[in-house]
Parts: sequence; C-alpha cells; structure tokens
Amino acid sequence: MITPGSKYFLGLTGLGLVSAVLYCFLVNPSDLGAYALFGLFISAALIAGFSIFTRDGDVATAAEAVEANTEATAPSFWPIIFALGGALTLLGVATNEIVFVLGLSVLVGGAVEWVIDDWAEKASADSEFNAFVRHRAIGAFDYPGIAAVVLGFIAFLFSRIMLTVSKDEASIIFIVVSAVIFAAGFVLAAKPALRGKTTAIISVVGALVLLVAGVASALSGERKELVKYAKEDVYSVANRGCGKEEGKYYDHEANGSVSLRSGVIATVFVEDGKIRAQEIGIKKDVETITIPRSNSTSILFRNLDAEEYRLVATLGKVKVGTTDVMEEVGTCTQLTGKNEEQVLTVTIPKPSSPEEPFKLTVPGATGEIKVVVP
Amino acid sequence: MDTVSPVKSLTRRISTIVAGAAGTVVLAGCAQNAPQDTWQPKGDNAQMISALDKIVFPIAGIVGVLVSVFAGYIFWRFRDKGQAIPAQSHGKPIVEIVLTIVPALILTVVGVFTWRTIMDLAETQDTEMIINVTGQQWWWEYDYPAQADQGITQPIITSGQLVIPEDTNVLLRETSRDVIHSFWIPALNGKKDAVPGRIHLLRMQADQPGIYAGQCTEFCGLSHANMRMEAIALSKEDFAKWVANQQKPYTAPAEGTLAKEGEGVFINQCVRCHQVNGIKDANGKAIISAPDENVYSGAAPNLTTLMTRNTFAGAMFDMVNQKCRADVWDAKTEEFGAKYLKGVTEECLNEKTLRAWLRNAPAMKPMYADPAKLEKTNGLYRGMPNLGLTEDDIDKLVAYLLTLK
Repeated sequence: MITPGSKYFLGLTGLGLVSAVLYCFLVNPSDLGAYALFGLFISAALIAGFSIFTRDGDVATAAEAVEANTEATAPSFWPIIFALGGALTLLGVATNEIVFVLGLSVLVGGAVEWVIDDWAEKASADSEFNAFVRHRAIGAFDYPGIAAVVLGFIAFLFSRIMLTVSKDEASIIFIVVSAVIFAAGFVLAAKPALRGKTTAIISVVGALVLLVAGVASALSGERKELVKYAKEDVYSVANRGCGKEEGKYYDHEANGSVSLRSGVIATVFVEDGKIRAQEIGIKKDVETITIPRSNSTSILFRNLDAEEYRLVATLGKVKVGTTDVMEEVGTCTQLTGKNEEQVLTVTIPKPSSPEEPFKLTVPGATGEIKVVVP
Repeated sequence: MDTVSPVKSLTRRISTIVAGAAGTVVLAGCAQNAPQDTWQPKGDNAQMISALDKIVFPIAGIVGVLVSVFAGYIFWRFRDKGQAIPAQSHGKPIVEIVLTIVPALILTVVGVFTWRTIMDLAETQDTEMIINVTGQQWWWEYDYPAQADQGITQPIITSGQLVIPEDTNVLLRETSRDVIHSFWIPALNGKKDAVPGRIHLLRMQADQPGIYAGQCTEFCGLSHANMRMEAIALSKEDFAKWVANQQKPYTAPAEGTLAKEGEGVFINQCVRCHQVNGIKDANGKAIISAPDENVYSGAAPNLTTLMTRNTFAGAMFDMVNQKCRADVWDAKTEEFGAKYLKGVTEECLNEKTLRAWLRNAPAMKPMYADPAKLEKTNGLYRGMPNLGLTEDDIDKLVAYLLTLK
C-alpha cells in the first residue's frame, strides 16, 4: 500500500530526476547544480523507499511490526545523522575528498547506530532490557567514536589558532594552556569533592574559548609568512637570493634537523674554507657527482666551518625570453651555520653538456663539484 | 547397479583437481631451467640469502608440520559427537612455560642468523663499482657514473640489461621516477624497492659470466608483469671492451644510405623522447631529447647503443631471434662474453617483433598511450604511443637502429 507520505516522496523523487536530467541537458552535466539535483533525487528515492517499506510509520497496518514490542519506541536522532552523512557524501563527491570521507564516515556510523537501535527496540517488550542489549551491542564503540569526533574538532580548531598566531604567541599559548591544565589537575586531585561541577565548568569554558578562538582565527586567516609561502614560488630563481644575504621566507630553524639520509645521493662539505663531496657507495671524496635526468635528487650540504655558507647549484644557461642573452639557471640552500646542514633538491630535465657540466659551488669557499646528468 | 550420489561425485572431482594442481606446483619446484629460481644462487649475496634459507626453512617447516598435525589431531579427536561438555579448567603452568620458552628459543636462533645476514647484505664498505638504477613505468634505466677504477671516464647510460663485471662488488643506487618499483635478480640478490625521492642501496655480485633474469616485484601499473630486467655479467676484460664501446663517439650513417634516411625519421619522430648521444641536426647542432615534455616519468630509454642489448621495451621482447638468443644464453662461460659483445647483427635481429613495436607499440605492451585518456597526466604518456609510422618509415628506422652499436 502506498501511503500519502510515500506518494509525496515519490513525487519529489520524480521531480528531482526530471530536474536533474533537464539541468544536465540545458546547463552543464558536470556542474555542482547537477550533483545537487541528482542528490535530491537519490535522497527522495531513499526516503520514499523507506516510507513504502514501513507503510509511512503506520504500524497498525503492519502485522509483522508488532511481533514483540508493544511499547512506543523512543525518538532517535540517528536517521537525521544518516541523512546528514548522505548529504555530506554527495557534497564531497562534488567538492573535495575530505568532505566525502567525513560524509561517508557519518553515513556508515549513522547507519550502524540506526540498525542497532532498530534491532534493540524489538529485542523484547521490556524497554529497559532493550536499552541494556543496545548498550552491550554497541556501547563499546559509542564513546571512542564520540571522543574521536570531539578530538578531531579540538585538533582542527587548535590548528586554526596555531596557523594564525606568531611563533612567540604560540609558545605563550602552549605555556598558559599547559599551566592551566596542570593547575586544574592539581586542584581536582587535591579536592575530590570539587570534581563533578568544576570539571564540567572547566570543560564548558575551555570548549567555548577554543570554539570562539578557533572560529575567530579561521576568519582572520593565516599569518603573513604562511600566506607569502602559499602565494610566492620560493623555488623560482627570481625569489631566491643565492648570494651572501639572508633569505626572508625560509624556516631558519630547519637547519640541523634534516632527516632525509636515505634519499640523499651525495653530501657536500665545507671545511677550512674548501668544498668537497662524498657520493653514496664511494669511499673517497669525489670531484664529480652523477645524478639521473628528470628525477628529483637530493644533495646534503653540511657546513663544518664557523662562517655561514650556502650551497649553490648552477644548472646551465637559458635564453632570456626571445633575446639572445643567456642567463644562468640555479638554485641554492639557505645560509647554514657551523655543523648545520640543509638539503638541496634538484630536478634536471636536460643532460649536461660534456664541455660545460653543471656545478655546485659555495660562495666564499674555494673549489667546485661538477654535476653530470647523463 | 551402484550409483554415486551427485555430492560424492562433485567432491571426488574437486579432490582430483586440487590434487592435480598441488602435484603440478610441487613438480614445478623441480624445474632445472628456471632462471629466476631463488634456490640457485650465482653470487655471494644470493648465496648469503640461500644459506639463511637453509637454516630458517627447515625450522619453519618442522614447526609448521608439527603445529598442523597437532591441530588436526585435536580437531579430529575432540570433534563434537554429542558428548557432554567436559570439566573446564584454566591453564597448565608447565605447558604454558614450555610453549613460551621453546618458540622464544627458536625465534632467537632464527633472529640471530637473520640479523647477521641482513647486516652483511647492507654492507657497502667493500663496494668496487656503483651504478644508478632508476625505475619507471615499465623499464629500468642504468647509468654508470664516471669511475676511473673501472675504466669509465664518462657516464654511461643504458637500459633493459644491467651489465656488470664478474666477481666485482657492485652497489646499485636505486630510485624511481614515478611509482614504486622493485628490483630483483634472484640469482644475484634479494629484492629492493625503488621509491621516488629515495635512494636505496642493493649489492650485486656475480660469480661468473652469464645472463641473470629478473622481474619487477612491486605492482606498478598496467604493464608491471612486463617490466623485466637482465643482469649481464662479463669477465673483466670483456667488461672493459663493453665500456669502451659504450663510450665511443657517435658515428652518423653514411650519406645516401637507407640508414641515413632512417636517422632523419628518428630525428623527426623519436628524438622527442629518445636520446642518441652525439646525434646532430642539419645545422650540426647537438639534438637533446625532451622526454620530460612528453612522458609522465620524464624519461625514455637512451638508444645510443641500442643494438648492444639483446632485449628492448623494458626487456619484454628479444632484440635477437630465437636461434641467436639461445646461442648467447646457452654459451659456455668462456665463450659467453664474445658472443654477447657481438651485439645484434642483421642476421640475428628479431626484425618481425621490432617492426611490430615500431608499427604500434601500445598493441604490443599494455600502456597508457591513448591520447584521449591522458587528462590525469596533463597529456603526458605512460609508455610509448603509436607514432603512426608508415612501412617505408619503419624500413628506414630499422636500418638506422641497426647502426646503433
């Protein structure tokens, strides 16, 4: 029997389908609007199906629905979560994969909870027993699931704040927050009587502060340097000072924290003002490094002298525009202090000329290392 | 008349098929002509792995058989026959102690030998020669940095066949230009992944001259199964000859020959991706290929000395015909070098396959070479596309390629 509610959703299904098809033909099949209308069609069809299957919730007409449970079931929010998951999934298909994965997670989680709810409600005529079996069946997953979502939100909001404030401010925030947590923990441990209410107040206040600060940070945007990183191509020669000057857009703290040992084809040292190189697998110093063509290759630069140096790669010459003027192509590391190291990663699409190989130099130090690309 | 029930008949048929399949697998293990057999080591490194296998496999085998037999006995002995559930008890300390200590001892023994082998295989201090090995869909590139000790005065670049001197500790520096591949010559060492952005080291040493077959062992896309390789070990004298030949300057075909016309076709069609070192245009200017503008991995095999290799297209096809191939593969150790160094002659050329490749490469080897489906790679090919060459062009190209020795 098709009930009035089912007819409504069936009508919406038809309308959604016709609108989606017309949109595809008249506007653009890959447009967001087409996805939305197909989403409407699928959602309405799904609800219509449920509505027909459950006879529009009219249990009096469904003899099999009154097998065991004679009590009215409690309202559930899982169908709404499930529908939200469906909407997010469809939106994710059209926008980006993070939304899609989030939607799919909500969809699956909502479906599982809904199914268990439904099963538990029919377990017996005793609603207390039903609640007990529901808890036994899925209670172990509820709290970790909720905790994961809450932690995800906290991490996301906190990351927005960290991307907005300066490094110094971030340090202060970390000190203050950790001090507050420590103090609160100390007080609660010393005064057990305070635990219930105080914990609730601290949690609510903390959540509100985090929420407000996170939203405010997200609205005000990332700090200046990060915006610059995103907008400027720091790897282009134009933005790279390869002389003695200090670069502006680099993380100076990166020195000494290189962890690319297994990806490094050679190490270039500066020692006593002279440059020398070692290649993986060759026991003695080399004057020439051979690197594969068209493949990103990392060279480690290690400064053993007190003075600051940088490694400069000169990778041939190219014509400037349509003129006959030749300009050197190159790249370099940031200035590197004593016993510090940096990695220079290069990708060279053309072979080197036998007469004029590419080279690695260190301004201010003597010597050079030839780079051959076969 | 006796009748067999359909269920019994089906069970008997399935048992026969399973037994037949198992027997085939067991018999396959006895194959002698198995170039990728890990149980036939031909070098120090593979020998180390084989020696470890000889310790670990028997131990694992005995443990496996004992556990299986014991579990089978328990399943059969205590199967449900409708009997009452016996009295339940928790644990038996002596059994638990023995079952903890014995496996721990076995694992300790296996662990000690395994650790020692892993450390030995990671040793690089005794390296005598280095070779850069770069994987890409679906072929291997080998480039030899200049190494005066080995007579290599300028870098050598080749593909498909890795040529090494016998009884020399070679260190391969593996990486990849696109996805993860894995380099494996079973007779010479274990496998090692080639990962983009990383350099992994793999020792290689061959006891005697010969051809050692290998196979990419990390699924890397459509033609993973066709990404093969061969390591060629030559005596030190023959290796020096090979090096000298690889380093000799390019000689253009004589004017007025079919090969010269083929050079023109090569310049028009092939040089976009394939480099031939020393080739020049009509103005005498060196031509540099641009695979980075046409191929997703940014590289295509360097064909400077193509006809010194016995294979092509990622070692998938033989460059020589069956008779000449057998002549090299089955050559006696002392004759192998001379036969291999002969390269590909006109009589030995596997012309039919080479022509088919030039006619329509994607039909010969599955590759992502349909121009209509290259949105994801921004129009760049994975593998060689169909160049639409005429038969006339192919005649000329074959004549030209034969000169690349």
